[in-house]
Amino acid sequence: MNDPGRFPGGTGKPAEPQPERSEIDNLLRAVARGDDAAFTRLYDLLAPRVFGLARRVLRDPAQAEEMAQEVLVEVWRTASRFDAQRGSGLSWVLTIAHRRTVDRVRSEQAASDRLQKVAAASVHVPYDEVADQVGSRMERQQVRRCLDGLTELQRQAITLAYYGGHTYREVATLLDAALPTVKTRMRDGLIRLRDCLNVEVTP
Amino acid sequence: MTSPDIHALGGAYALDAVDDLERVAFDRHLAECEACTVEVAEYRETATRLAEGSWSVPPPRMREQVLARAAATPQLPPNGHRRGVASPVTRWRRLAAAAAVVGVLGIGAAATTYAVQEQRLDDQRTAVAQAQQQADRIQAVLAAPDAALHASDLNGGGRVTVVVSDTQDAGVVLLADAPAPGPDRAYQLWLVPTGSTTPVSAGVLPAGQAQATELIQGVRGRAMFAVSLEPAGGSPAPSTTPLVGISLV
Repeated sequence: MNDPGRFPGGTGKPAEPQPERSEIDNLLRAVARGDDAAFTRLYDLLAPRVFGLARRVLRDPAQAEEMAQEVLVEVWRTASRFDAQRGSGLSWVLTIAHRRTVDRVRSEQAASDRLQKVAAASVHVPYDEVADQVGSRMERQQVRRCLDGLTELQRQAITLAYYGGHTYREVATLLDAALPTVKTRMRDGLIRLRDCLNVEVTP
Repeated sequence: MTSPDIHALGGAYALDAVDDLERVAFDRHLAECEACTVEVAEYRETATRLAEGSWSVPPPRMREQVLARAAATPQLPPNGHRRGVASPVTRWRRLAAAAAVVGVLGIGAAATTYAVQEQRLDDQRTAVAQAQQQADRIQAVLAAPDAALHASDLNGGGRVTVVVSDTQDAGVVLLADAPAPGPDRAYQLWLVPTGSTTPVSAGVLPAGQAQATELIQGVRGRAMFAVSLEPAGGSPAPSTTPLVGISLV
């Protein structure tokens, strides 16, 4: 994985996500105009990602299915609010999915329960754990390589928040770190990831 | 609220690692700061790349269900204010939109008031008007330019977040994850005037209730906010050690 532009040991094909990303943007615009066929195609592109994310954070397939349904219907309902100047369509959808999933986690369980659960799982960073993932191998490798480039505290702060659904306060407790430190590590960790992944938003 | 402190929250915000009130406060910060909007959009974009590894094929039945639900769901019309530097009007609308998030919580709190009064059916209209008024007041506090956010854990569990605005002379208190008091006990809110050690009651929650979004009045000239557990209906002065004391100055 030294060369992020290639499949490790694979076909040497460049990363597939770029055309897919602009396709998602275009589909969202069509869905905003009420295009059912576009929504069907969008479903096929997005459902495994939305379901996968919900499943990873909620850790329960039945709840994840319910959440994914809710999110995808919300995408249909609010497609007109997607603004390509604020980022990619994929990011817009996954932002909705993540926020809702995290809200669900927080409303359903007292924070202390979750802290215990995570403490019991001994803070093993879950970024390589999901068993039945299949898609987007190249992306995964790149994200993983970039996560490996973070400091331990940056990586744990970010993964506990994103995959664990924890607030920065809970993360501070879990990592036994000061609140301002955790806030800062989340921010500078994201900056480092952003630069490593060449993420750019041009308004 | 453009303090460096809120600015530092950008990473946690993009990771959805903030609580509801911080989210609202940060949304408001974004409405005032176009450069931050781009920066945070990049954090968001980066954060969502973390989802790429979590790919999982959903059960096949989900497809039909989602398509059927979508077919039965009306879509939002396009929203005209979406690009460029925010005009004052756009900015104001964004503020209102941000405040609406907690406005919903406010309506929840007001709905309790409404439920209590429900038995008096002829008072319904008044109650709804009051609920709306309270939601509006909460929005006004959260949207105030001088709104300041304070948060702290309660002794014994739970968390309280307070947003106070001197110009509105009011505050919004969010109590979450606190242990439920017995049916004959209630959480009571207090304000301590500057230069005094005598707390003044700022409201009592219904007995047994552990979650709340409350509007408090008269925060001007108050140095401290506190919460204590009291007999149902509240006490004229705290009868137990406060579970939290938050300095407002």
